[in-house]
Amino acid sequence: MTYELLAGDVEKLRRVLVSLLDQSEADSCLLCDQAGHVLAHENISKQTDPLLISALGAGVFAATRELARMLGEDEFSTVLHQGLKRSILIGSANEEILLVVLFSGEERTGLVKLYAPASAKAVRRIFEEITARGARGPASVDRNFILKDTGSIFGEGR
Amino acid sequence: MAFVNQETREIQLKIVYYGPALCGKTTNLETIHRMIRDDHKGDFMSVDTAKDRTLFFDFIPLDADVIEGFRTSFQMYTVPGQVMYNTIRRIVLQGVDGIVFVADSQWPEMAANVESFRNLEENLAAQGLALDDIPYVLQYNKRDLPSVAPEHYLEFLLNNRDRRRPSFSSVATNGGGVFETLNMIARLVLHRFVRETGGGSDSDDFDVV
Repeated sequence: MTYELLAGDVEKLRRVLVSLLDQSEADSCLLCDQAGHVLAHENISKQTDPLLISALGAGVFAATRELARMLGEDEFSTVLHQGLKRSILIGSANEEILLVVLFSGEERTGLVKLYAPASAKAVRRIFEEITARGARGPASVDRNFILKDTGSIFGEGR
Repeated sequence: MAFVNQETREIQLKIVYYGPALCGKTTNLETIHRMIRDDHKGDFMSVDTAKDRTLFFDFIPLDADVIEGFRTSFQMYTVPGQVMYNTIRRIVLQGVDGIVFVADSQWPEMAANVESFRNLEENLAAQGLALDDIPYVLQYNKRDLPSVAPEHYLEFLLNNRDRRRPSFSSVATNGGGVFETLNMIARLVLHRFVRETGGGSDSDDFDVV
């Protein structure tokens, strides 16, 4: 199965992320799916690889979801890891999509916890629209994926 | 589950290395990371225990220029092989596009290979997936060690299905067979992706008959 985001989708998602950063004073945030794919991100620093954040964030949230089920809960809606300087909050927008927020300073924890659920809800609505239009978007979008030579995709050597 | 970002012109695909404990899954990714060209790879990340056994997963992102007009990112994962970590294996399999099953060629490991292969099928079934519907290849690792089973025996044991899949002998510690395996699973996944999204290629081209 394949799903895709069109330019308009990404723009809507970015607007939600920018608004969350403004309101919560968080440093950066991203959206990923449960497979660990990065869907959109905002203000991620060059030192922070969004792919790694997504892979670990999706893994952590999935593990926490299993813990919740063991305790008789459907899921824990958010996971918060709090450090001395930097913290991370992971929340689910829907069954597939996760919102990851990175922030500094203990005093921002409340703001992030306050505004992240509304952002997750906004993301959920956008994905409901995407789902409603079907797995495939407008026919005008270029989906003529042309493979180049796949004889040796990855080569050795530095 | 493949993901296409039409705005950034990026395609993301997920490949998982599966197999019994200590069969060489992590060694495969470490070798790829060590030997692959710098412009193909991101950072290697491993979540392991104090004894260097995989606790959660290993991960490297690989970039390839194989679809016109798009950057293709292969996200490569391993699962923990130890029996007790089955929940984590199921988590890592979520959204998988292609699988490399790494078998340990040593005679004493045959039962563990079969058990791990069955476990893979069970964990996919738990997500509503059938192994036969997913691109996968087999890798018979540790061929340099004494007391290894003949390849035809491993084929009989693990590749004895209606549709036989590509298989490779390997010595992951020195890179033997590692890139052949990687390139084949990448090809299979790409052809499946193009076929599913309306292109003309068909992954069946790569079945072994």
